[in-house]
Amino acid sequence: MAVVFGVLIGALLIVSQGGSPAEAYKALLVGGLGDSDAVLRTLQKATPLIFGGLAVAFAFKAGMFNIGGQGQLLVGAVFAAGVGFGIDGLPVVIHLPAALIVGAVAGALWGGIAGTLKATTGAHEVIVTIMLNFVAGNLTDWLAANPWKDNSGSNIVARTPLVENSATIPTIGAVPVGFLLAVAVSIACWLVLERTSYGFEVRSVGHNRHAAQYSGMKVGWIMSSTMAVSGMLAGLGGAVESLGVDGRFEAGVNVGLGFEGITIALLARANPLGVIPAALLVGLMEAGAARMQYKSDVAPELIDVIQALILFFVAAPIIIRWLLRMRHDNSEQLQLGAGWGKS
Amino acid sequence: MRPRQKQLLYAGLTAILILIWIFYSADDLQTTAVLAGTVRAATLLALGAMCGMIGERSGVVNIGIEGQFLMSAFAAFTIASMTGSLFMGTLAGVGMGLIMGWLLAAMAVGLKVDQIIAGTVLNISALGLTSFFYDRSRSLGIGKYTNIDLGPLADLPLVGTVLFSRPPLTYLTMVLLVVVHIALFRSVWGMRTRAIGEHPGAADTVGIDVLKLRYFNVTIAGGLAGFGGSYLALEAVGTFSRAMSGGRGFLALAVMIFGRRTPFGAYAAALFFGFTTALQNQFQLNNTFDIPPQFVGMLPFVVTIVVVALSGLFGSMRDPAALGQSYEKG
Amino acid sequence: MTSTWRRFLALLMVFGLLTAACGSDSDSSSSSSSESASSSSAEEEEPAEEFKIGLVTDTGKVDDKAFNQSAWEGALSGAAQIEGATTDYIETEESKDYANNIQLFLDDGANVIITVGFGLGEATIEAAKANPDVLFIGVDQFQGEAIPNLAGLVFEEAKSGFLAGALAGMLTKSNIVGAVLGTDLVPPVVFFKEGWENGAKYTNPDVQTISTYHPGGLDVAFGDPEWGATTARQALDQGADIIFGAGGATGNGALIEVATEEGALCVGVDWDQWGTVPEAHPCLVTSAMKDIVKGVSDLLVAAKAGTLVGGNFLGDVDIAPYHDFESMVTDDMRATIEEVRAGLADGSINPMPE
Repeated sequence: MAVVFGVLIGALLIVSQGGSPAEAYKALLVGGLGDSDAVLRTLQKATPLIFGGLAVAFAFKAGMFNIGGQGQLLVGAVFAAGVGFGIDGLPVVIHLPAALIVGAVAGALWGGIAGTLKATTGAHEVIVTIMLNFVAGNLTDWLAANPWKDNSGSNIVARTPLVENSATIPTIGAVPVGFLLAVAVSIACWLVLERTSYGFEVRSVGHNRHAAQYSGMKVGWIMSSTMAVSGMLAGLGGAVESLGVDGRFEAGVNVGLGFEGITIALLARANPLGVIPAALLVGLMEAGAARMQYKSDVAPELIDVIQALILFFVAAPIIIRWLLRMRHDNSEQLQLGAGWGKS
Repeated sequence: MRPRQKQLLYAGLTAILILIWIFYSADDLQTTAVLAGTVRAATLLALGAMCGMIGERSGVVNIGIEGQFLMSAFAAFTIASMTGSLFMGTLAGVGMGLIMGWLLAAMAVGLKVDQIIAGTVLNISALGLTSFFYDRSRSLGIGKYTNIDLGPLADLPLVGTVLFSRPPLTYLTMVLLVVVHIALFRSVWGMRTRAIGEHPGAADTVGIDVLKLRYFNVTIAGGLAGFGGSYLALEAVGTFSRAMSGGRGFLALAVMIFGRRTPFGAYAAALFFGFTTALQNQFQLNNTFDIPPQFVGMLPFVVTIVVVALSGLFGSMRDPAALGQSYEKG
Repeated sequence: MTSTWRRFLALLMVFGLLTAACGSDSDSSSSSSSESASSSSAEEEEPAEEFKIGLVTDTGKVDDKAFNQSAWEGALSGAAQIEGATTDYIETEESKDYANNIQLFLDDGANVIITVGFGLGEATIEAAKANPDVLFIGVDQFQGEAIPNLAGLVFEEAKSGFLAGALAGMLTKSNIVGAVLGTDLVPPVVFFKEGWENGAKYTNPDVQTISTYHPGGLDVAFGDPEWGATTARQALDQGADIIFGAGGATGNGALIEVATEEGALCVGVDWDQWGTVPEAHPCLVTSAMKDIVKGVSDLLVAAKAGTLVGGNFLGDVDIAPYHDFESMVTDDMRATIEEVRAGLADGSINPMPE
């Protein structure tokens, strides 16, 4: 229902700007699903969103807010690309996983810094991760423009050379393998959270930190490791982006992906499996936005507004029920933020 | 603050003053420039931090400050250019901030939407709506707020330029710091506010209407952010451009936490941050070290991390106990 | 099925329903074969053969008051000289969409596609190679090897930067000139800066040049007018009395700040910003321009006439008129500027010695 309302209000906005909602939405759908090219792009756009969403969702399960996904994604992307172009002569079976692992580790470290500082010095992880986002942006831009710059031919853009074929993630028909990897990781996350003792501890800490501590769990360790895992997921997303979609790392090209992960996680109500359809939803809208703009003159920002509206309605089912006079449903209200995490 | 902390604070301040004196003697122009830049950069962050802290002290997280800045800046700019009056524009910005504050309150307190979601909704909508409705041909024909010299005080060396020759909204911000401090820590409202943030249940039994007070607080906190938006558009920059808040709303949160959710603490944190920004600008202007701008640009952030890590020694930065949780009567 | 899956399917259904329900009215006859909008544009009557021009921007808006906008104006200007020409644009949101956005125009049968900005360089080359019957104009895209249907419109930014700097060197009374720049990751910005500094030193060997680049990443570097204003103020406080603002909205912030300082001058970039940043009138003495409008327009006309040549096409660079500051520029200064202009044109003056 949330989606319906978001879309309808979006239609109203379109009309207010003198456009035709039917044309706009039709173009949006065709742009996102119309042919195999479009489907490919939708899936490609959905992939980093899945990883970003998982990163945020995983941290949420432990009661923490990882606002540093953007930085973690960037370092994952750049280091994976570095391994991808810097080494040649390796068979794909070694090169590709190595590059991915390097990216994941980079992200884990980036997230782990925040977690460890928190555990040892009490440094507030929100401050540290926000700072690290900026640092990562600067660092990766510099890398792409200087030591790792692609100086072949007449290139002037700040980016790395293309990664070797042995480190590129292939595409099967209209399905990028990166997407399949994302789905697999999402299932893995769910399994870890629901079926392992580690996952149980993570969720316990998220539910009630004091009770967890009282029952003997090492809360500090849980919190640091969760941030590291969260960072790893975001970094992996960045790595997949570099190796599968871009074929390199380019400065300024991954803007905002990390932050979109927050929206995805919220849409999915922090459920690792729910992240997949949420990412598909947003990916579809983004893939089709250009065509919508072109065919019906509707500004692409409308997509952002619709996303916000859907998010709003997802979180406030009360409004919808009230509007539709549906019976009150006692399903749990989503509650993610329990403060910034105590020290 | 404990006595030992107070001693350290005074020692630190004295050290800073001595350093300033040394640099000033060496190169007065540059020192003035850097310090003036510091105060300038700190204003917006301090306003955002104050917005955040009023909400958080009441138990409501507000990560939508970024969106509030942007929407208010847009409103301020649009109204100012339409009416030809900076004053009307400023009011419009504050008004927009109040509206957005009210929206956040309605979502988080009224509908019990998760507070993080509510803030995110504000941010996304602000970016989308301001870009959607931005009238490209509009410009601020009247010019932005300019410096007002405070009489003879403005002629003092160094301090004159840095503190007493500032545009009006900056002065207002400094006044607001005092006002909010008094309100939070010396008034009945402040006591109640802090109570509902720590023990809403207890506050309720004493007769405080928790939900209504939260509603009120989050709304007026939005007004502060709105004022920040007005400042951004009408005093700092003098026009509007897409996404011009540039992440400062999030920085304001860091400043707020760093400043332990007090106005003066937040201002100190904001000054610190502004100083590192002005300093790295100065390094570039002087070509002091031949470092790429990206590295120089990291300076403020890295230094902040280091300081935050070290300051763990000064006692942990505790959140209000009920932060982030919706309150259910009963 | 989890609720999120349900939501996704709901989205598809709703979009589908909406388009189906309302779509059948606005679409033309049911016998139309394809879904593309060419069916709706077929309702217009074409007196002459239709000449479709498409423009793809870099990540930025057509109204960004500089780069993308001037390319669009060039397209409009060129189209006005061509009978039967239609123009349309797509604003790119993410650089990953470059190829797709170009393809949208290709699918629609565009005759000429203009892509703006060196970021689109690679995507344009690929599209040009894959579609030899379509003509391409790449603004700010230097062609390493010439492709017959792709003309790269390039400019020597250092020259107009040099001219502006030369003027500044003469106009400055404090002997300090400053520059507030977008980012050093974008070569044209660096060329402007180098030209500016060398030009100032050419006419005024005692001048001190101070410059800063935005310290952040590409995503904020051109959209941070607050930093631009603060940095301009810092430079002014240090004694600079002429400031060059080069970097989109960031640079504009600097210009507006300088406008509040009595007696200080500012210099715009890319095109004559007198018209686009009226807030800067009190200080805007000139702008270091690259005539994108004329360049695109001329190339479009050539494209229609069939005389477009692949490879690089050098556009015009110069500095903008002085507007309210005509009286400030003395005859001696004008003479010097003329000399410098001539020197740059015949190569005797090198704006960027290595």
